[in-house]
Amino acid sequence: MADAVIVVALLLVAVSATAAVAVRDPVRQALVLAVLGVVLAVLFTVLQAPDVALSQLAVGSALTPLLLLLAVHKVKRRGRKEGRHR
Amino acid sequence: MNGWILAATVTLGGGVGATVWGVATGPLGRRVVAQNLCTAFACPALLLLSQGSDRPSYVDLALVLALLGPVGTLVFARLLAEELAEDPPSAWGLTYAAAAVGAVVVLAVCVTVGPSRAMAKLLVVGVLLIGGNLVASRALSGGFPELRRG
Amino acid sequence: MSRRVRLWLLAVGGAGLATLFVAAALDLPALGGDHHPYGDRAVHASLARHTANVIASVNFDQRAFDTLGEMTILFAAVVGCGVLLRQTRDEHRDRPAPEKVARPVRRHALLVLPVALLTGLYVIAHGQLSPGGGFQGGVVAATSLHLLYLGADYRALERVRPVGLYETGDAIATSAYVVTGLAGLIGGTAFLANTVLPYGTFNTLSSGGTVPLLNAAVGMEVACAVVVLLARFLDQAVEIEEGNGK
Repeated sequence: MADAVIVVALLLVAVSATAAVAVRDPVRQALVLAVLGVVLAVLFTVLQAPDVALSQLAVGSALTPLLLLLAVHKVKRRGRKEGRHR
Repeated sequence: MNGWILAATVTLGGGVGATVWGVATGPLGRRVVAQNLCTAFACPALLLLSQGSDRPSYVDLALVLALLGPVGTLVFARLLAEELAEDPPSAWGLTYAAAAVGAVVVLAVCVTVGPSRAMAKLLVVGVLLIGGNLVASRALSGGFPELRRG
Repeated sequence: MSRRVRLWLLAVGGAGLATLFVAAALDLPALGGDHHPYGDRAVHASLARHTANVIASVNFDQRAFDTLGEMTILFAAVVGCGVLLRQTRDEHRDRPAPEKVARPVRRHALLVLPVALLTGLYVIAHGQLSPGGGFQGGVVAATSLHLLYLGADYRALERVRPVGLYETGDAIATSAYVVTGLAGLIGGTAFLANTVLPYGTFNTLSSGGTVPLLNAAVGMEVACAVVVLLARFLDQAVEIEEGNGK
């Protein structure tokens, strides 16, 4: 593939990954991770690895954010209950 | 480096780059919209890459992204319904623009491929992408009105 | 060890690692060269067995034993999650009330669900022909089922998802993979050898010997495992509450 598209994809992955580490709140991090997943899949496609890209898409687009947000939801619910009982 | 790959580079650099910036900064409403538009721009980029590198098998990637990308946005819309209800995000201009980009790319690739089973698959991808994008935007701006327990 | 000493140690170690990294990177072949000794042999073996997708051939034929390991890792992880997230004695279940969802979202979810399910099955079935295979298609199929939760209601999801059935399906699929491997042993060659079935016509659905069978087993296993995993998470997040109920 042409070099320009590889460079663009690599830059996008670098920026998204740094943003994923820099964002500290789990909910916002889940959002950045969803975008990072898509960008990684595009990088894999550009480097001619469509099987890996398909795996990344399948797992990172809906499954990982769902697991993360369910965990956050549970923790928030417990915190809210304790607040009410206090 | 042919025209298709150039178009894919522009879509990635401009569209997906803007969504990466949008999801990393700003209020929650903007971040969720950026996540939604990331799918809307990455899917046409994959279609362009598939046409540019002459690998029709990459259309499967665009198909799975067009299916599961909006599902990801629905996850956020449902589980963050309370936070989003205070300030419903609505960026219909951007959403329609992204849908237009998707439609243009799908039509261009369909015309190049010519009537065949491949074109039928491309049309399915286009419908799923645009439909999913619009419905996910609707879900973000008030699709879960009285969510209490999740 | 004080903080300063720790930071100095980190700096020294990091500098050493960085030097080694740079030295190795300068010695690498250029990106995208055409000298691939292992790739040539893998492609040759895959074509000899009429499998169009070389990755599927490597995963389910040439190194099928590694895939068995990966599948059992997923199985064990889901069992572990089930143990960790089970309902304990000081928790009780609280049925969630039905929720209201906007009409277009609900309609979209119910329309996309069969399409996504079919796509998942399509990706599994065409694993030996185009990019995809058991793992990818299984995850897509399992995620599609949860559109019922995202677009409608948790109770709607519970109705189509009797968890015991999916746990059984997970176990059956894992065993199916092992049994297919044993067929190779019984046939006189090796465990998981691809000599039991005819190789078929190249680039059609019935090609590749045992690759489509192992694909189907992994697809079913992954789909059931993901459904069970999400069921545990959803139960904890939506239903199970602390306290002994009132």
